[in-house]
Amino acid sequence: MTCDELRDSYEIYALGIADEPESSEIRAHLDRDCPTCVPGVRGARELTTLIGAVAPLAEPPARLRKRVLAIAGGQKSSLWNWSPVWAAVAAGALIAAIVFNTRAQRASAELAQASAELQRVQSESAAQTRELARLNEAFAILNQPDAKQVVFGGGAPQPPRGRVFLDPTRGVLLVASNLPPAPAGKIYEMWVIPKGGKPVPAGLFQSAADGTALHVLTGPVDVAGTAAVAVTVEVAAGATVPNLPPVFAAAL
Amino acid sequence: MLLLPLLLAIEFGESDADLVRRLQRRDPRAMAELYDRYGRLVYTLILRVVRDGGIAEDLVQETFLRVWNRVQGFDADRGGLGPWLLAVARNRAIDYLRSAAGRMRNAVELPETDHPALFADMEKELLNSDRVRRVRIALEKLSENQRAVIELAYFEGLSQAEMADRMHQPLGTVKTWVRTALKSLRDELGTAVPA
Repeated sequence: MTCDELRDSYEIYALGIADEPESSEIRAHLDRDCPTCVPGVRGARELTTLIGAVAPLAEPPARLRKRVLAIAGGQKSSLWNWSPVWAAVAAGALIAAIVFNTRAQRASAELAQASAELQRVQSESAAQTRELARLNEAFAILNQPDAKQVVFGGGAPQPPRGRVFLDPTRGVLLVASNLPPAPAGKIYEMWVIPKGGKPVPAGLFQSAADGTALHVLTGPVDVAGTAAVAVTVEVAAGATVPNLPPVFAAAL
Repeated sequence: MLLLPLLLAIEFGESDADLVRRLQRRDPRAMAELYDRYGRLVYTLILRVVRDGGIAEDLVQETFLRVWNRVQGFDADRGGLGPWLLAVARNRAIDYLRSAAGRMRNAVELPETDHPALFADMEKELLNSDRVRRVRIALEKLSENQRAVIELAYFEGLSQAEMADRMHQPLGTVKTWVRTALKSLRDELGTAVPA
């Protein structure tokens, strides 16, 4: 395709939602440093980047800065902070590169592979950290003496059942069983329903293969003003209003 | 008002290109400056996407970790650091959203480092409240459906087919809304596509 034919697709490409063949064609033009498409997509990306900056600024917690700075502090010398295994891999590859000069390219590839593996491990570690943080939030709610507890689905063998805990300062914890995973392309969405008000989205979650689920909504909640906590099945990205009847609801 | 410290940091601080070079030298203070300059924007963007403060914190950390790990491949003379950082942040957040929803990961195609020249050096524009305000006004001028498709694409990473499914509209209609909305924004902001 020519640059003229691609011109109207620059912004859609910059948003990441271009269809084929336009997407591949633009990428091919960019790969060969096309003098028309590179500045064109750059302008489009400028526009889409500004869209991301229109949300009212939120204030991150102070602890987040420390967490981010720990990345650099912990990797002041990246080699020495790798786990011993990876440090050994890297050192081995380095020695190979020096001793076998003709194999330098291969050693470099091994280093890149080790680096990619390290990144995968770091990513898994971040996921574990996230899960741990979620469990900590759950325990924090459970430990609150003022947390209100509501049982739902009791007495019925098959429907989802479980408990909802609401703490005015910590948030809402949902623990459920008999809740089969939502179908492909769907997800469970929790709603906090105020007395006399419309349901408020309270986060998305998926249940495990064994039908258990744990979901936490962190932050203050008006327990006295809450009529119920409910869960619906929604499209994968979630919804701002419930589109289907609740799978279950816990009335306070 | 919230932008004032950011603007001061930009006006009186070093350029993004200098900051990139210090990051590439593994200077921990450069990471602090990077966070102070863009951390709030990154957190805001990710929070807007995932709508959960705890998850947003984790993803902000992942974003900066990714940038720290990949900054060696970033050509500061060819691309802007802020837009790249926001692109990485948006990728992380949408990837999480898709993963949490059981959707295909990496369905949104956002090159992060392969074409640094695509990330215009726009640090002042990015943190310029007047420029951001113009975008906000331009978005408000769009029809409800046009604004919805832009937000679904940008903040939720939905493809045009997924948007059609979500909005119960024909795919062709959604595509028309997307194109019309983007053209309107481009015209309002005077973002010229080179002839």
